[in-house]
Amino acid sequence: MAKLGLVVDLDTCVGCHGCATACKQWNTSGTIGPLSDKDPYGRDPSGTWLNRVRTYEVGDTPNSKTVHMPMSCMHCEDAACVTVCPTGASYKRKEDGIVLVDQDKCMGCNLCSWACPYGARELDPQAGTMKKCTLCVDRIYDEKLPQAERQPACVLTCPTSSRVFGDFDDPNSDVSRLTRERGGQQLMPELGYNPVNTYLPPRNKKVVESYQIKPSLGATLKQWVNKVITR
Amino acid sequence: MNSVKTDVPCSLDAQLLIDSVELPEFEAHDKQQTKYTTCYMCACRCGIKVTVEDNQVRFIQGNPNHPINKGVLCAKGNSGIMKQNSPAKLSAPMLRKPGTERGAGEFEIISWARALDILEKRLAQIRATDPKKLAYFTGRDQMQALTGMWASQFGTLNWAAHGGFCSVNMAAGGLYTMGHAFWEFGDPDWDNTKYFVMWGVAEDHSSNPIKIGLKKLKERGAKFVSVNPVRTGYQAIADEWISIRPGTDGLLALSMVHVLLRHQLVDEEFLIRYTNSPQLVVNTPGVKGDGLFYRRAGEIQIWDQTTDSFADARRTDVAPALFGEFKAPDGTPLRTAMSILLHKYLDDAYAPENAAKECGVDAETIERLALEMAQVAFRETITLDIEWTDWAGRKQDKFIGRPVSMHAMRGISAHSNGFQTCRAIHLLQILLGTIDCPGGHLAKPPFPKHVPPGIKPAKECAPNTPLKSPPLGFPTCPEDLVIDAAGNPLRIDKAYSWDAPISCHGLMHMVISNAAKGDPYKIDTLMLFMANMAWNSSMNSAQTLEMLCAREDDGEYKIPFIVCSDAFHSEMVAYSDLILPDTTYLERYDTISMLDRPISEPHAACDSVRIPVIQPDRDVLSWQEVMIEMAGRLKFPAFTTPEGERRYEGYKDFIVNFQKQPGIGFLAGYRGADGSKSLRGEPNPRQWEAYEENEGFFEFQLEPNQRYMRHANRDYMELAKEAGWVGSTDQILIELYSEKLQTFRLAGQGLYDGPMPTEEHHKERLVKYFDPLPFFYMPLEEQRIDRDEYPFHAVNQRPMFMYHSWDSQNAWLRQIMSQNYLFMNRVAGEKAGIKELSWVWVESHNGKIRAQVKLMEGCNEQTVWTWNAIAKKGGAWGLSKDANEATDAFLMNHLISELLPAKGDQQDRITNSDPVTGQAAWYDLRVKITPAADGETGTWPLFSSHEPLPGAQASPQMLSYSSHKNVNLKRPMLDILTRGEK
Amino acid sequence: MHPAFSVLIFTVTSGAGYGLFALMVLAQLAGLNALQDSTLLLSGAVLALLMITIGLLSSTLHLANPKNAWRSFARFRTSWLSREAVFAVLFYPVALLYLFGIYAQGSELSSLYSACGVVAALLAMVTLFCTSMIYASLKTIRQWCTALTPLNYLSMGLMSGALCLATLQALLQDGLSPVLRSAGLGLIALGAVVKLIYLFWIGKPAGATIKTATGFTQASVRLLDAGHSAGTFLTNEFGYTVAANKLLRLRFAMVALAFVVPFLLLMQGHAAATVLAALLALAGLLVERWLFFAEARHVVRLYHGDQRT
Repeated sequence: MAKLGLVVDLDTCVGCHGCATACKQWNTSGTIGPLSDKDPYGRDPSGTWLNRVRTYEVGDTPNSKTVHMPMSCMHCEDAACVTVCPTGASYKRKEDGIVLVDQDKCMGCNLCSWACPYGARELDPQAGTMKKCTLCVDRIYDEKLPQAERQPACVLTCPTSSRVFGDFDDPNSDVSRLTRERGGQQLMPELGYNPVNTYLPPRNKKVVESYQIKPSLGATLKQWVNKVITR
Repeated sequence: MNSVKTDVPCSLDAQLLIDSVELPEFEAHDKQQTKYTTCYMCACRCGIKVTVEDNQVRFIQGNPNHPINKGVLCAKGNSGIMKQNSPAKLSAPMLRKPGTERGAGEFEIISWARALDILEKRLAQIRATDPKKLAYFTGRDQMQALTGMWASQFGTLNWAAHGGFCSVNMAAGGLYTMGHAFWEFGDPDWDNTKYFVMWGVAEDHSSNPIKIGLKKLKERGAKFVSVNPVRTGYQAIADEWISIRPGTDGLLALSMVHVLLRHQLVDEEFLIRYTNSPQLVVNTPGVKGDGLFYRRAGEIQIWDQTTDSFADARRTDVAPALFGEFKAPDGTPLRTAMSILLHKYLDDAYAPENAAKECGVDAETIERLALEMAQVAFRETITLDIEWTDWAGRKQDKFIGRPVSMHAMRGISAHSNGFQTCRAIHLLQILLGTIDCPGGHLAKPPFPKHVPPGIKPAKECAPNTPLKSPPLGFPTCPEDLVIDAAGNPLRIDKAYSWDAPISCHGLMHMVISNAAKGDPYKIDTLMLFMANMAWNSSMNSAQTLEMLCAREDDGEYKIPFIVCSDAFHSEMVAYSDLILPDTTYLERYDTISMLDRPISEPHAACDSVRIPVIQPDRDVLSWQEVMIEMAGRLKFPAFTTPEGERRYEGYKDFIVNFQKQPGIGFLAGYRGADGSKSLRGEPNPRQWEAYEENEGFFEFQLEPNQRYMRHANRDYMELAKEAGWVGSTDQILIELYSEKLQTFRLAGQGLYDGPMPTEEHHKERLVKYFDPLPFFYMPLEEQRIDRDEYPFHAVNQRPMFMYHSWDSQNAWLRQIMSQNYLFMNRVAGEKAGIKELSWVWVESHNGKIRAQVKLMEGCNEQTVWTWNAIAKKGGAWGLSKDANEATDAFLMNHLISELLPAKGDQQDRITNSDPVTGQAAWYDLRVKITPAADGETGTWPLFSSHEPLPGAQASPQMLSYSSHKNVNLKRPMLDILTRGEK
Repeated sequence: MHPAFSVLIFTVTSGAGYGLFALMVLAQLAGLNALQDSTLLLSGAVLALLMITIGLLSSTLHLANPKNAWRSFARFRTSWLSREAVFAVLFYPVALLYLFGIYAQGSELSSLYSACGVVAALLAMVTLFCTSMIYASLKTIRQWCTALTPLNYLSMGLMSGALCLATLQALLQDGLSPVLRSAGLGLIALGAVVKLIYLFWIGKPAGATIKTATGFTQASVRLLDAGHSAGTFLTNEFGYTVAANKLLRLRFAMVALAFVVPFLLLMQGHAAATVLAALLALAGLLVERWLFFAEARHVVRLYHGDQRT
């Protein structure tokens, strides 16, 4: 048994969208692929993405901060998307808690996407089935991949290592440790879905001391005295 | 080295899990191949590991062993599949249909044989008559060592790449000061720095290395200060954001210098040992020789405090006076460079209270930042106990690190005061003693080089004769200018003329404008590679399109023949006469050469290659193959045997066998007959295979004692000389005070024994801007317009997911952004009565555009900005005519003139560029903003659309890319029927 | 929420059908005079089944992959949609048996057929309840996640059903039965009260905000960039936005069409007025249902920049 999920570090995410396109790239040929794109070269291109990055500004000028927030499936412990699914296509794996959509069984009723508060599910305009993050179930267990690469594509690619993958049931895992040490938070916990993924809030600003200056020093040229320093 | 991505979820007991679940085989690994090459989605040059099945890309990931990206990849790199599958790919060579207008986009497909014959005849004719009639300019190419060599061999002065409109201020600012610079020339010491200041970095140069570095800073708790009028991307995670008014960074830096000097917080040892600050400067204003170093028997002098006498500056057994005024035996007044510096920056003009008025950064903040840096540099010093040998052969027992580092890029570069601003930032770094020391700003091999690198631009060209030196180089005095006896420019872009004397990357942004005017002369053929000069890479794009189509009275085009090589249907394609379709980056051989600006890291000399991972399905040829083919056909000496035969079969052969000097070629790795030699060695016939076997790159680690203080590190310098990176093992003396600039100033003052300008405005510019010490001046556009009439600065940046790329054709990336907005500070917008998402007119001295506004917090109140190059012409790049890029997005380029704002004086026809380096001053733009009338919506101006090219594949309405049928993970029916709520 | 036309048609017509069926059976079995008429009962049952069937068929139109619609019976254990499907299907044989009973025995039904009638009426209400619970169970949409939602669906279903029944009765017999008229008036009044309470209730600020959604509760939060220029599945599905003044106009139109005018018409008691009342009420309920969707604000909108739901 395991509780697999992601930790996203809001302190270091620069909003590059690398995770979003890595996800798109891996999964379009992955187990739930393809991820279709409507009007890809036309007006209002709109495709299926499993991970999107949004940018917020917190606070008002001049005391504000920019925060980049990547969002994908939280693999909730009490996943309402699974509860509402009439066909049983949506399910949460007992082994590791990954929430998946069996592409052969989905009828495309959208109800699971209505039940999801995080916008994690998107209907594929071509296949007519619901697509969502699989935590790259087709990577993390693939023994033919090098051990270090058995991670979700978004985690593998993140240039600021702002995404960490692991087992929240293991108190010694990186994800558990980071959540503990950095005050990792769930998004919208009040809905009671118990999202597994956590977000690490931005760290407090680093404060550096100023050099303690001697007030007697003035601003004139003459006060500089040559020291004997050998070249 | 590869610490970034090794933290596998160790807690995840994979084996246990696999035992408990039965999963299908998702990937047919036995049908897949893994290949290594180098990304080309931008200029960052990350190593990529590409999984291919059935000549289709399955997955592109970062190469975990690669020195640049260490396994990570950005949004662009991850979207390579959509670049490879772009419907905008050119399919075959094309010729403008006879009788059709240039720009109409009507072409006929021709064979490569015919295309190459046409090109050969044209080029042979030009080369045999007047080689400079060929203007050969390349965009974002990564093979300038080859294209520059080709131009030299052809014999035309008119060659450059895109550096002149990108970042020459940064390159020149560093190379004329300390022999290395930002980005490709140097990096912050991410592993050791404790205080990092990022100036004007627009989410770009460079991409992944900066992100990896910022993460390291955050983990270690180093402070990250960002100086930028806009807070996006990297700035978002800064500990402190300094919302500076654009174009005033130099003043901010020099005000910090003022603070440091006022409190005597400089590294005097560093200055005396490693810089020219103690050197004596002649102080005779108005007299020849003023401002030049005082020399005896050709040697620059210092004042030795131990002997109380003059001494050669290069001597090591002296204790030079850092300050003071002296008199030469002949009575000539002298003072140290440092004395001039003190005098200059202690002036009230640079006091924080005064700087604050211009920069928009309050005085306390300026003072505090300077003192924080001093604290870290001098009180939080780090030492590495590594024994090393200095340039004079003296053993040193440790490297002293002053862990303050900086990075600066386009926000500094793209102003007409960018060169001096860049020098000001370097001055700040140098005074703090942070150059190439642990925690400071490190050089990347083959840098540092002597100041400046010893290549001079070619000045003469003659029929069928190679140039004597490369077209681009580093002038050190007016004699090095590329002008005729009358002082007129010899290059079409007027580089190295009095307009822009140290324009070491050329002025690509002036080529079309000058050629269309026939100023300074007419050309015959404009040959462009990978440069979209008919759209977002030109200032004043709308008028540039007219220039490209302008005709003489006799009906001949003013630019008679335009050749364009590109892999994609860019806007430039329609304005070309001959189109040579290039391969994509996944289909080609390429070298990121040590002769150029390679992929080195501070502690390792590295270069890399591209190796095809996909077989092209079109009739295309990589540009480098075309170059080698033409060089052979035109019998360039370096490409021809003494018997007159072609020397190289093709590009691969050329790369392996060409030697610049004995043992030194384009690739530094796996040399020698058996591939065992590094950096220097005879050609290895299996060199390509060796790179392929080594994941497409070569990494030569420096010894610990060669890793720092390399400008004065004998062990490093000896290696550098052996590798051909430097010409001598002499100390690379950091030039705080630039005598080279002073020679130009003297020429402007009429006090120079050599070429001097005759026109008044040239004299004024030289006197004013060629200050041997960095200084702040108001950007030129701002000087020439009414600041009250145009109250806002207007700047732009490429978004991270499109930086330095060609990616509105990319079906995935354009979903992230297909329309740009004019961003404005919310408070400023509210003051001006401008509402969120309303349409406004944006007007500059050069024209106006209509754009849609978004208000934001993280924007300087006097600044508006947008994402650059989102707008495209309909039909180009495989886009539909009604694509958002064509109807809603806008280019700021239309507002920016390639010439200075007209005032009816002689400067009207001078380039809108830095007066020292010719760097395009994109960010000098000032605008006024007025709400559009009711009903005025949509972008303006609008442009006609391009028609599909012959042979172009139609852009699909629905795209479902997959390299194989998906293997669905099925849920058992029993589970569906029996599972309860949880 | 995006008001999908197929879902509007489905919920309004099937709601009216279930309401009609349930009321008719109960009134008949309760011995209401006007309904001891096999023609009326047959017409009513056929009309109800027709409306239900049209509604159910319409509902499959919004499925993106209808070939798997049959699988929707599978998750009866947790899914209200699945339950709705199961009960909707169960309703048919029982209702048809009742219909057969009427056909065979007229209004004097044997206990078996009477029982079928009762069970069918119950299934009708249960199905309608399940439909409403699909919406009421979604914690992501505060305008739906309330007991008022099933109350709304049931009362609207019964109200529109009553008007359909009254229409049929008035057309097939001479003049509207006073009992049906009273029942109709009462159900219209009930529906109006329920709706007004609902409108009042959703008007109260409540629920998650952009601050709680992003976790930055100490300061204002504004969306700077959604990460895409054009619409996405999410913005199309959840981003449906109507101008406030248009909403207000539609609310007035809804109240007038669905409740006020039918009430006044029904008071007249003419057959023609009754027909008109039923038609207007159905039209009004389409508006009501449209508003039910259009005014529902999914929490994912907070991530797209809405300050509150």
